[in-house]
Amino acid sequence: MEYYAGVDIGSTMTKVVIMNKGIISSIIGPTGPEQRRLANKVMEKALNKADLAFESINYIVATGYGRINVPFADKQVTEITCHAKGVADFFPEAKTVIDIGGQDSKGIKIDNGRPIDFVMNDKCAAGSGRYLEITADALGIKIEDMGELALQSTNPALISNICTIFAEQEVVSKLAEGVPLRDLVAGVLESLANRVSRMVKRLNVEEAVVITGGVAKNAGLVKALSDKLGYHVSVPPEPLLTGAVGAALLGKDIVRKAIENGESPERKERSLKEIEIL
Amino acid sequence: MAEEEKKKRKKRRTATKAAASIGPMVKAAIGGTIKAKEEGKKIAYTFIVCLYDEILRAMDIVPVWTENYAGVCGAKRDAERFLERAESLGFSRSLCTYALCGLGFDQWREELGEMPPEAPWGGQARPDMMLSSGQILCDPRNKWYQAAQQFMPDVPIHNVDLPYPLYEDDIHFTDIQDYYIKHIIEELRGLVTFLEKQTGKKMDYDRLSGLVDLGEKTWNLIHETYELRRAVPTPMGTGDAMNTMVPMTFMLGTQEAYDFYVGLNKELKEKIARKEGVIENEKYRLLWGGGLPSWFALADFNYFNSKGAVFPAETTYRMVQPIYHMYMPETNDPIERLAWRWFGYWVYWYDKARKRPGSHPDVEWLIQYIEDYQIDGIVMHEAFSCRTWHLGLIWQLNQLAKIYKPIPVLVLGKDGRENKASRELPSLVLESDIIDITSYSEVDTRNRIDAFIETLESVKKGKTI
Ligand code: SF4
Repeated sequence: MEYYAGVDIGSTMTKVVIMNKGIISSIIGPTGPEQRRLANKVMEKALNKADLAFESINYIVATGYGRINVPFADKQVTEITCHAKGVADFFPEAKTVIDIGGQDSKGIKIDNGRPIDFVMNDKCAAGSGRYLEITADALGIKIEDMGELALQSTNPALISNICTIFAEQEVVSKLAEGVPLRDLVAGVLESLANRVSRMVKRLNVEEAVVITGGVAKNAGLVKALSDKLGYHVSVPPEPLLTGAVGAALLGKDIVRKAIENGESPERKERSLKEIEIL
Repeated sequence: MAEEEKKKRKKRRTATKAAASIGPMVKAAIGGTIKAKEEGKKIAYTFIVCLYDEILRAMDIVPVWTENYAGVCGAKRDAERFLERAESLGFSRSLCTYALCGLGFDQWREELGEMPPEAPWGGQARPDMMLSSGQILCDPRNKWYQAAQQFMPDVPIHNVDLPYPLYEDDIHFTDIQDYYIKHIIEELRGLVTFLEKQTGKKMDYDRLSGLVDLGEKTWNLIHETYELRRAVPTPMGTGDAMNTMVPMTFMLGTQEAYDFYVGLNKELKEKIARKEGVIENEKYRLLWGGGLPSWFALADFNYFNSKGAVFPAETTYRMVQPIYHMYMPETNDPIERLAWRWFGYWVYWYDKARKRPGSHPDVEWLIQYIEDYQIDGIVMHEAFSCRTWHLGLIWQLNQLAKIYKPIPVLVLGKDGRENKASRELPSLVLESDIIDITSYSEVDTRNRIDAFIETLESVKKGKTI
């Protein structure tokens, strides 16, 4: 049996999947300073869960912000390519991918699972998951509850501040003024959807549109985004894992191609060591 | 700047010897202005792309290009202390950072009565006059020197208004050109009168004519030299062009500038004959489609190179067009010739744009280079503090994608059959600043570049026709 692993070290979450035909094991955990240094530990957990030895993994691809901190990966590939690949596995007809990460957001135009253009915002927290974390905190609610709450609103509040820090103050004062919580949350999601859709529109958005990243589980945001874009926005079953799945599938492609060409794929030494530097 | 960091930062590798010779040339030029000041020559603060280079040279006025000095501070990663100083004087950080750097520097020099400590390359000489050339959209060209006058109340300012007609697809510029030319000529004559008053000398129009001849010859030579970069592999990239722009922008109307491009032309032809490219294995040819560079991060061009990407062309600092393709009426008056050259440069792409619905001169310029230089992708840089050169870049990319799709592909139709189609070039927008290093993240920038290279790779693979 062939096994492929994808390791996606994002700015806030680390994701590992091991695949053969489908996903046989996956781990999602926070990217603390510790985890970033100890990508090997996360990998070990995934291997234990799948009951596999490290040597049995045919190929490992690392992706995400921290991909260079995965010394045991055979190849490093950016999240743009991995998301394109991962999304196409769930939605072969996908043409536009929106990925909202913990600290950045991206739009990717894809064609048969390959990226053909992209846009990125890594400069400002207001277009990322961090914006929701901070405003949820300020409102004293759980981030997971935001989506459902927002869907109950018929009159979303207008959040005029683009900057996360000022928006935090704005929601707190609006709450004090008596604006209903559901309207405030809906307003927050709308303002995030606004920012992201403005960025993504530069790509000449085409259907099917797919959203990935933890924020994709937020039904209120998905609705706000599809309203802004004027397209239905689909969500994969495990939106946090698409990058890691794409990475594993790319590994599979690399191995297959090498075999077709009668070569053996270039691989790194298989050892799960800690690394010294970030 | 910390000594350690200075040591750590290696010299950037350039592809041409000509580009490598620029650093010492700029250093000598800046040193030269300080010496000229000591010798009692007249020094003028002024802006690049100002049209009157030859007028200054003909009057023996030594130009100090204030944008250049700020750029030097940025490239040496030593702009921060001047920016901070300007900020503490009450100037907003979101103003043009060249202007902020210059204002911080000037105030410091005036306060001390000498150059600020360890001023990059000896410092910026105190001017005898400041020439602001009001160009469309660039507010510092009007406001920078007015602000600087607070610290140098004895230094006069002369403003030269240099407009050009904005593009309208239903108005032809020939309908309004006489009005513009007349106005520009008046402005230039006004400048000559001002300079005559400042120097106590009369303009020698024969000398000026000779210098305008030299300037025009240099324009044509630059055009022909840069066009050599169409070769595959390209012998010179944008990283080098950010150096070789120096004689074009700061030394026009001098024999030294002309000779520099003679040398560059020869060097490029030799490299082409040897099939010697910027890099050995050229995989992707990119167009730097707009935006001033981050002067402190020019090594990013080398990073692109390390991934197999080269930049055979750029629109930034391509401040010349071939004179022989412009309308230049017969005249012996050098001032009139300067006015027509200015006008001809700005309307250069207008006719082409009118022929393609939805196009615009800036978009047409991109299209021409995409075709001439066999471009695979476009990179732009949005420098937050310069609105003049950066406004509309994203719009240009959007427009380009709408009207121009140069990549032929096969797409699977709903009926399951493959149909011929075409799509636009991938593009990358970098975000930072010209000299404000706090706006820059090397990790994020290189992450974007990596993703862009992968995108180019996947587009190349997918180019099925
Ligand atoms: S605003 Fe732009 S064009 Fe104007 S001086 Fe500053 S950098 Fe130069």
